[in-house]
Amino acid sequence: MSPEPAAATPAKPPRKPMPLQLKAGLAITGTILLLGLLAPWIAPHPWDTISMRTRFLAPNATYWLGTDEYGRDVLSRLLMGARLSIGMGVAATLFSLAIGVPMGLAAGYFRGWVDEALMRLADVLMAIPPIMLGLLVLAVTPPALWKTALAVGFVYIPPIARLARSVTLTLANEEFVQAAKARAESTSYILFREILPNAWPPLIVEASLRVTYAILLGSALSFLGLGAQPPSSDWGLMISEARSFLDRAPWIALAPGLAMCLLVIGINLLGDGARERLDPRLKARLGKA
Amino acid sequence: MLIIDDLTVRYRTAGGEIEALSSVSLKARRGSTLALVGESGSGKSTIALAAMGLLPAEASVPSGRILFDGADILTMGAEARRQLRGSRIGLVFQDPFSVLNPSLRIGDQVGEGLVHHRSFTPDAAFERAIALLDEVGIVNPEAVAKAYPHELSGGMRQRALIAGALASEPELLILDEPTTALDVTIEAQILDLLENLRARRGLTMLFISHNLGVVRRIADEVAVLYAGQIVEQGATEDVLQRPAHPYSKGLLAAIPRIGRKTARLAAIPGRLPDLRQPPASCRFVSRCPFATDDSQAPQSLRDIGGRLVRCSSAEALRETPWPVQAEADAVGSPSPATQAVTAEPVVSVEHLTKSFVLGRGKLRFEGWRPVRDAIRIRPVDDISLTIAPGEVVGLVGESGSGKTTLGRTILRLIEADSGVIRIGGETVSGQPPSALEAMRRTAQIVFQNPDSSLNPRKTIRELLGRPIARFGLAPAADIPRRVDELLDLVRLPVHYADRYPHQMSGGEKQRVGIARALATQPRFIVCDEPVSALDVSVQAAIVNLLADLKDRLGVAYLFISHDISVVAHLADRVAVMHHGKIVEVGPADTIMSAPSHPYTIRLLSAVPRVDGPPHAQPRAGREAAVPA
Repeated sequence: MSPEPAAATPAKPPRKPMPLQLKAGLAITGTILLLGLLAPWIAPHPWDTISMRTRFLAPNATYWLGTDEYGRDVLSRLLMGARLSIGMGVAATLFSLAIGVPMGLAAGYFRGWVDEALMRLADVLMAIPPIMLGLLVLAVTPPALWKTALAVGFVYIPPIARLARSVTLTLANEEFVQAAKARAESTSYILFREILPNAWPPLIVEASLRVTYAILLGSALSFLGLGAQPPSSDWGLMISEARSFLDRAPWIALAPGLAMCLLVIGINLLGDGARERLDPRLKARLGKA
Repeated sequence: MLIIDDLTVRYRTAGGEIEALSSVSLKARRGSTLALVGESGSGKSTIALAAMGLLPAEASVPSGRILFDGADILTMGAEARRQLRGSRIGLVFQDPFSVLNPSLRIGDQVGEGLVHHRSFTPDAAFERAIALLDEVGIVNPEAVAKAYPHELSGGMRQRALIAGALASEPELLILDEPTTALDVTIEAQILDLLENLRARRGLTMLFISHNLGVVRRIADEVAVLYAGQIVEQGATEDVLQRPAHPYSKGLLAAIPRIGRKTARLAAIPGRLPDLRQPPASCRFVSRCPFATDDSQAPQSLRDIGGRLVRCSSAEALRETPWPVQAEADAVGSPSPATQAVTAEPVVSVEHLTKSFVLGRGKLRFEGWRPVRDAIRIRPVDDISLTIAPGEVVGLVGESGSGKTTLGRTILRLIEADSGVIRIGGETVSGQPPSALEAMRRTAQIVFQNPDSSLNPRKTIRELLGRPIARFGLAPAADIPRRVDELLDLVRLPVHYADRYPHQMSGGEKQRVGIARALATQPRFIVCDEPVSALDVSVQAAIVNLLADLKDRLGVAYLFISHDISVVAHLADRVAVMHHGKIVEVGPADTIMSAPSHPYTIRLLSAVPRVDGPPHAQPRAGREAAVPA
């Protein structure tokens, strides 16, 4: 039990300074996002124009990150690719949130057989290796980036659903849920208007970390030729295409690789920082009971 | 024995530095019991932590000494301090449910200190532990020593903790709210035990509590703390019967007393001063009805007739009681509903039963079929009860007696197994949830813990507006006005509507909880321990509010509480619950003055009181100590 000073300042909740992690994460992720969004206007060269005269140029003043085997500017392709990779990651995560959160809410609120059924379903999903699922979906239908996003999102439903369930289990015992029942609120009102707003902080943190996994997995699928198709400049695909020239022109593979590292680190910092900022407040508020 | 001299403690928190204690000086004489009383935020736990040398890392001590037998605990090295704790000072915490390690046997935990500090062998320590368990009044100590904590009741766990604190033969025992988590009958036993131990072993005790009745039973001397300062210190009977400081007066006046029913309880308005910048004036000045110009000056502790009081007008106020504010608009004529007790009851319950399955018994065969019997508890067992319009029925009982389950079963928040429930003339038992619309409007509930009962993500306006919108009680444009009216009804300023729950104090939050229940204009409200989580001074204000609202709106309450004195104050009739059954029901005055059921008598005699004859004779209370 912490001693009693908390009770002495009831009126104004102290505003915490922003954690350094959060600042760094915001800066890195924000920059990459901004560059990706502005890519069509700031890219120094067209990203898809083939030019045999400029093949395999090492980084220089004109082509800052060099050129690839078709003479395309690596920097421009990288910038355009940021949109694809991030877009894919975010879309996949939104998809898993859209399915996983209602699943988790229902499982945690109703418990009993609903919980059992939904969680066993999640276990089944979890048992499928992600790459295998991707291979399966994309082997029977023509590969496309949106299908990659869907497959990746599908794979990440179980962790989101499990988190939503565990948060709901605690929240469903709160007395404000009883109060809502005492005025005959509908189940959907209780789930989405009473419980969900309190479940967001941990879910947002989890989702932001999931985006990085989704980007990595999506890139892996693209690398295997199952996601984005040439001449698209998805980062996974760029690495895949460049791997045969690693000895001659390592910069073509290194640039998207480093960019991906940076993005993943940035989003992870963002997620960790957000956790630090959101979670203790949630605990302080709900934990007092 | 223990001397605390000019101790100031500050905590660094995210919102700034808080002064938890301001030059507190105390002396505990050998063989006596010194009690520290105060409400939350008064700094009483900080004193205990400091005396144990257990202040957390964010605490700083700019001044002061804590002398234990002449040695300063604050300047001691960590190792020397640890030795002192292990051998000469014992500590008993508030919550016997979380302090014991669930995976170690009781005997090992009680004897643990002996192994570390007195170099006993584990076997010898276990033997000693059995002797200690015997000393604290546990029957069959050998079996209990081999048991695990979850097998013991709360009272037995607290006894085991006391045995553990006694293991190292300490001279000083520090007890931080040792009975707060326990039921009154168990509390009485533990207090008797402590009194016995002190007499037998010549212990010095530092006893921390918010409950003045408990303090009266155990302490020789009492120090009243307010906002990190001692405001009054003296012999227990002296301070409790003739308080001199306005805060002590208010605190004592705020306690409802059995057998002396008054119209209103005295409440202390306002809240603690901001301890980030403690005011230089009297710290109580903003809440003090006796404040004079002198109060703006810093106050010092002065010796007045054998006790210390921090108030410049203490002599003048000696005989002045704390004023009971009669709120003008509350003293209207009682609504007709209050008199019409003979009218059709608003709630009637017949043969209500609810049981829960705790687990499954051993496998046995019934013919060829393997069966496992369900182990059931029945928190609501064949209960019949009626509540008239505008009537307050108090429901008392100890934890686990089924009070809360009964309240929620009546409102069909928990489904009953059998029985008939009628609310507002309609039978609500056996109806599908969709048919309960009218009942949900008629019957509402106020919860114990306002932190948990108000959704932290909604503003007060949303919280109060929702029930109105849900039942279509006002057109959308009128809702803000209705919310303002509700806030006014529970005496909260209208601008609070835009606040979030965490921006309010506990008492204010509970007012919102009550306003929310009133939003549907109900005729019946289940009040489930509505004041148990609040400080005494705030509790009084909420109890007054509930009484006013009843008179004004004619609403009936089922008032659930474990605190018999609060129930006695508010209720017209009292029902006493024990193991799922109502053992006695009757007019409040009759039950309080002439209880007939043995359990009621036991319950009433166990309540620690601040008035009436001093010190009950310590009985050699032994619990039937068969591990469950």
